[in-house]
Amino acid sequence: MTRLTRRSVLALSGAGALALMLRPATAQAGAWQRLDAARELVGDATPTDGIELELPLVSENGAAVPLSFRVERALDDADPVETVHLFAPSNPDPLIAVFHFSPLAGRADVATRVRLNESQTVIAIARTASGEVMVGEREVRVTTTGCLMVDDTYESANVFQTRLRAPGSVSTGEPGKVLSMINHPMETGLRTNSSGETLPKRIIERVEATMGGEPVLTAELNRSVSANPYLRFFVAPTQSGTLELVWTEDTGETVEASAEISVG
Amino acid sequence: MITRRNMLALGAAAFVAPLAMPNILRAQGSAGRVVIVGGGFGGATAAKYIKRRNPDIDVTLIEAQERFYTCPFSNLYLGGLREFESIGHSYEELTGEYGVNLVTALAEDVDGDAHTVTLSNGETVEYDKLILSPGIDINWGALEGYDEAAAELAPHAWKAGAQTQLLRRQLEEMEDGGLFVLSAPADPFRCPPGPYERVSLVAHYFKEHKPNSKILILDSKDAFSKQGLFTAGWQSLYGDTIEWVGLSDDGRVVRVDAEALEVETEFGMVHRANVLNVVPPQKAGFIAERAGVTNEGGWVPIKASTFESRQVADIHVIGDAAIASPMPKSGFCANTQGKVAAAAIVASLAGNEAPAASWTNTCYSLIGPDYGISVVGVYEAVDDEVVQVEGSGGVSPADADADFRLREAQYAVGWYDAIANDTWGTVPA
Ligand SMILES: Cc1cc2nc3c(=O)[nH]c(=O)nc-3n(C[C@H](O)[C@H](O)[C@H](O)COP(=O)(O)OP(=O)(O)OC[C@H]3O[C@@H](n4cnc5c(N)ncnc54)[C@H](O)[C@@H]3O)c2cc1C
Repeated sequence: MTRLTRRSVLALSGAGALALMLRPATAQAGAWQRLDAARELVGDATPTDGIELELPLVSENGAAVPLSFRVERALDDADPVETVHLFAPSNPDPLIAVFHFSPLAGRADVATRVRLNESQTVIAIARTASGEVMVGEREVRVTTTGCLMVDDTYESANVFQTRLRAPGSVSTGEPGKVLSMINHPMETGLRTNSSGETLPKRIIERVEATMGGEPVLTAELNRSVSANPYLRFFVAPTQSGTLELVWTEDTGETVEASAEISVG
Repeated sequence: MITRRNMLALGAAAFVAPLAMPNILRAQGSAGRVVIVGGGFGGATAAKYIKRRNPDIDVTLIEAQERFYTCPFSNLYLGGLREFESIGHSYEELTGEYGVNLVTALAEDVDGDAHTVTLSNGETVEYDKLILSPGIDINWGALEGYDEAAAELAPHAWKAGAQTQLLRRQLEEMEDGGLFVLSAPADPFRCPPGPYERVSLVAHYFKEHKPNSKILILDSKDAFSKQGLFTAGWQSLYGDTIEWVGLSDDGRVVRVDAEALEVETEFGMVHRANVLNVVPPQKAGFIAERAGVTNEGGWVPIKASTFESRQVADIHVIGDAAIASPMPKSGFCANTQGKVAAAAIVASLAGNEAPAASWTNTCYSLIGPDYGISVVGVYEAVDDEVVQVEGSGGVSPADADADFRLREAQYAVGWYDAIANDTWGTVPA
């Protein structure tokens, strides 16, 4: 699909350009333009569409909507993607999460689960080292099945239990898939209990993955990340070592997990 | 717009012009031709209600099976509470009383431009309006290791028939003290409370015949339909026989080894079963894809007010195949959607506007033979999307007494008899 970018519009001249720019809904008039935080992030850059955002078209449970994104450009590119921001513009707190990638992550390719309050267009914005910007958007319809009654009390028995699944071995420079999860309520601070009291905010606000002490991926999570934060990402180590994950709660408490990965 | 009614009111000369509307011209002489694929809850209901509203419409029902076995109450059969034949239904009322043409064949292809359906018996049938109610197909390949051969060892039993009987045999042959494992899929899937009713009635069978046996549900979700009611019911009837492991406790099955009766979860736990029931990921019945009405997720986007496809004109898709969320994929919903599509088609063939649409659903589930629970919803079309009427519906109370649960179990049987009578004309034995 060819997409009309702002860059190509600006390259046109005279009447043609005017006509194009007056067209109300070009690909360029995205949801990101209606969200201050996203507009600020894009700044003067001309966004391209090198990031692919995946969510279901219809979600029957807004409490945990699977989301994944993938940046086409490899992380060993001369101008690699450094951060990806995710936004849910119609949530009370639109910023979902920010991911920071190092070349050790192999590719900017992440899956997680998010909370969506209502039907809306979810936005992913990638920025490269030089300030290039890519935008991906996806419209999701959120319905709640009549047959679904979500228990609104969270079973806290397992809080802080972590799970980590990493490949035992990878070939040099080949990205290997890592799955991680921590049991945690991700209490938004926006909910009330049955007696009307607001439940205090309590979230995992940071997940850091390192390999042999070097950063791979850092995820700053906000309250629109679903309970029991789940992260699927990649690691492309150049030598054997230990993949370490550290989850940090907003109370300052941390939890760790690790896995050995051999490179051959 | 030229409707058929005002066309007929025009003189002869006017008939030369509307060549661009071949369907209407073809429909002359009869009140129109409707072809329906699938004689399950949606299709059989639609056939009957089109005939009830306008007997002059020519209705052809294409159904692959001679006899229809319902998924509703198939869990009672699995639990040893019913004979298999008690959930079978014939098409005698539709053909005998309503004059529906029944063709026992598989619909293999649809040409939406030519308005034709090709059948496995070599015939091609023309339609003015087509209704697809093909139910679900298993999304083979979506779950590693689970293919048609695997389903012969680890049945899904998510379409009633030989698969259901196979699962029942396996449960009967299992030694006391065995483990029954059910893997439940992520949304959307046919019958949201179905997996949980199934384990309930298997637990009932174990309690009576194999009291040392256990049940493990590995779930790809963190929440399920009527969860609180099920959990409480399991506790009170079966103690700790049933263990449920949700998505966030590594309940999601990612690989099946049917020969070994083993499943592996996302984070690498391997569970071995004595009887393994895999309720796999699903999609709309394949004929929907052939007709070009499915989206990338494998389901069919519809206009709520008529259940006509958003992608291909004159094809209405009802039942499990359609995206009607927040309505669940239930037999009751398929039945009411069949009535809405029937009304819309009868109106359209007569040149009238479709009447305003609304739907109801009640999903009864049995936790034991004398322990029923339910969830109810009422729905309407707003901006051509289905929405639940605000303040409507609800679930059974959490604190109901045994008598209340017993009455709901009786209502469930009443519901089954009523819907089977409404859909296929079956008179309860
Ligand atoms: C275990 C279980 C329990 C359930 N319990 C309940 C319950 O208590 N209450 C409730 O309301 N719902 C229940 N359901 C859900 C219910 O079974 C479905 O929602 C319902 O059957 C959907 O109706 P349908 O018309 O879409 O498809 P179906 O009823 O499956 O009918 C589809 C028909 O189309 C035929 N067909 C498909 N493709 C073709 C083709 N190409 N050519 C010819 N024929 C074709 C098939 O042979 C089939 O007969 C349950 C489901 C399960 C699995």
